[in-house]
Amino acid sequence: MEAVGPDSCGGGDAARGAEGWPAPEARVHFRVTRFIMEAGVKLGMQSIPIATACTIYHKFFYEINLDAYDPYLVAMSSLYLAGKVEEQHLRTRDIINVSNRYFHPGSEPLELDSRFWALRDSIVQCELLMLRVLRFQVSFQHPHKYLLHYLISLKNWLNRYCWQRTPISVTAWALLRDSYHGGLCLRFRAQHIAVAVLHLALQAYGVEVPAEAEAEKPWWQVFSDDLTKPIIDNIVSDLIQIYTMDTEIP
Amino acid sequence: MKKFKRRLSLTLRGSQTIDESLSELAEQMTIEENSSKDNEPIVKNGRPPTSHSMHSFLHQYTGSFKKPPLRRPHSVIGGSLGSFMAMPRNGSRLDIVHENLKMGSDGESDQASGTSSDEVQSPTGVCLRNRIHRRISMEDLNKRLSLPADIRIPDGYLEKLQINSPPFDQPMSRRSRRASLSEIGFGKMETYIKLEKLGEGTYATVYKGRSKLTENLVALKEIRLEHEEGAPCTAIREVSLLKDLKHANIVTLHDIVHTDKSLTLVFEYLDKDLKQYMDDCGNIMSMHNVKLFLYQILRGLAYCHRRKVLHRDLKPQNLLINEKGELKLADFGLARAKSVPTKTYSNEVVTLWYRPPDVLLGSSEYSTQIDMWGVGCIFFEMASGRPLFPGSTVEDELHLIFRLLGTPSQETWPGVSSNDEFKNYNFPKYKPQPLINHAPRLDSEGIELITKFLQYESKKRVSAEEAMKHVYFRSLGPRIHTLPESVSIFSLKEIQLQKDPGFRNSSYPETGHGKNRRQSMLF
Repeated sequence: MEAVGPDSCGGGDAARGAEGWPAPEARVHFRVTRFIMEAGVKLGMQSIPIATACTIYHKFFYEINLDAYDPYLVAMSSLYLAGKVEEQHLRTRDIINVSNRYFHPGSEPLELDSRFWALRDSIVQCELLMLRVLRFQVSFQHPHKYLLHYLISLKNWLNRYCWQRTPISVTAWALLRDSYHGGLCLRFRAQHIAVAVLHLALQAYGVEVPAEAEAEKPWWQVFSDDLTKPIIDNIVSDLIQIYTMDTEIP
Repeated sequence: MKKFKRRLSLTLRGSQTIDESLSELAEQMTIEENSSKDNEPIVKNGRPPTSHSMHSFLHQYTGSFKKPPLRRPHSVIGGSLGSFMAMPRNGSRLDIVHENLKMGSDGESDQASGTSSDEVQSPTGVCLRNRIHRRISMEDLNKRLSLPADIRIPDGYLEKLQINSPPFDQPMSRRSRRASLSEIGFGKMETYIKLEKLGEGTYATVYKGRSKLTENLVALKEIRLEHEEGAPCTAIREVSLLKDLKHANIVTLHDIVHTDKSLTLVFEYLDKDLKQYMDDCGNIMSMHNVKLFLYQILRGLAYCHRRKVLHRDLKPQNLLINEKGELKLADFGLARAKSVPTKTYSNEVVTLWYRPPDVLLGSSEYSTQIDMWGVGCIFFEMASGRPLFPGSTVEDELHLIFRLLGTPSQETWPGVSSNDEFKNYNFPKYKPQPLINHAPRLDSEGIELITKFLQYESKKRVSAEEAMKHVYFRSLGPRIHTLPESVSIFSLKEIQLQKDPGFRNSSYPETGHGKNRRQSMLF
């Protein structure tokens, strides 16, 4: 399988092995989740179902060896399953056509022949397999709604001019979406991820939370009292890894 | 670093029109994708909204990780599926999935009730193996499998488990744990004996069954797997939610059995549902039992609502009752569904009797209060012996509601006068009638409580948690409020079921209601 082929530039994230997947696998997952997100957008899926699809995908390969199944097939089934879980039902046929276009841009939709039906059956079979591997635990709490609440609270606290000048909310949202390129959703709690992306967005724009210096505890601890600075740093460093991978993977 | 900005901006595409306003951001979940869903494959020229400060900040952050960007030929992306989709070697791939499923269904089948199987090495699992020479205690098994407390596993199974255990100097792997669960009989259809059929729908058939493992009765909900669609989403949701819900007033899912053609959910068996219970006592329930049942409904519901799970389909057929009087919520197939269908898959009409007026008028609002209207209707039905609003169509249902509670106006239900559906129906202006005339057996506290459930505006309806504290329940004593979640209210000696005045005979007969039995368990 091409996707796991040897990679000459994997040195940078060799350290991943300790806490997550070994580097080459992380790169495969990066690519495949990028496919999930693109296909999801083209299929008209909303943020939450896409996040669910990515989480299902990551969770599956947390349990199962990467070379056991074609990751792109797993990705297609993740999309299909996420559609069911989040009530945004997708048709297998649409998933197949969108995926086909992704791999062969400009190609015609596939003929409805026996190969097409075989492909569709394999998506359905793979979905059942995934349900079993994941023990039907396919409903997740995502960081999205926490992030929205945190943003609203923070907006009222920050001065209005500062808020209007810097796209904090949009950036935090984008960071959150990009976080699904890696398995952060498995390693960290939803609230923590929400705080960390917000923290990173604020720092990236050099925005300071008012009265931070005089406050008894940092602003993020108000949102989530079991959160610590090292956890934030770990999440941010994982995010940076994702963006590093992005510069290395075409 | 440029690429970082590019990638970041990539996900920002389509959201640039959405500016700083947060209320808009809340809608962004939809807007964002709607605006970008027709995008051609990846738009890489999104305007980078990142400022210089961000750039330098990230630079500083990534300094240590930074590597010279490496270009790879574009054509190799997704080569594997690309070729897969072109199917030069499709056969092997498809077979892999299939073979594995088959292997699973006889060998290492999954078990539903094992919350402990979340961790590869759960503490109980490990300690179980370290004292392997001792008998495996019931508590261990119960902890591992979260089986009901009164489970009896025949000795033969335990001996078999002990004999066949692999060397125990290393921690038990997930696979061998599963294999051992499978050895005791979990996840296997042979473990369950099918007795009579309880009901049938398009997607599921429900059988009464017996577990050879525990000799207990079980309800087997057999879901046919549609070849084209895979597992029905009601089943996926029901299982994924029920696995997280462990409560004395929520039906327990014991096991899941997979075969090629079907998925069988194994539930604990309860003798009857509330509908049958009311029928069996000639629709005259003891008012004390009404109180106990209502309290248990609220207790189960409060637990669901704390976990942000809505039931959405409460009705007497979905409330199961055993001979001790324990009541459990069942059928979570519609739970958390965003829209409540008006027809089942088999084209039967879903009952409207317990549906709140805001939903009947087209609201898709999505809050825990949606369940509370139905609680009021069920409360009334238990107390008076007849359904409160037995409407046959949406209009008929609304008509019945308004005739009793008064046609809403802008004052009694802000916003209703601008609801198009409401305007189109053009209901006569009814005055509210006193509820006590219709449910004379309810005391004034009961009337006050039922009124709190039957509020037009969903946000004014009392929550399950608050309702449990209502004075109506004061006669049950204070201890009922401090019970642990998994403990039945009947564990308190002051809580006892009374004989229902209209009850015909004590042993439950299988006669009469056969046809309508267990509609609840059907999709």
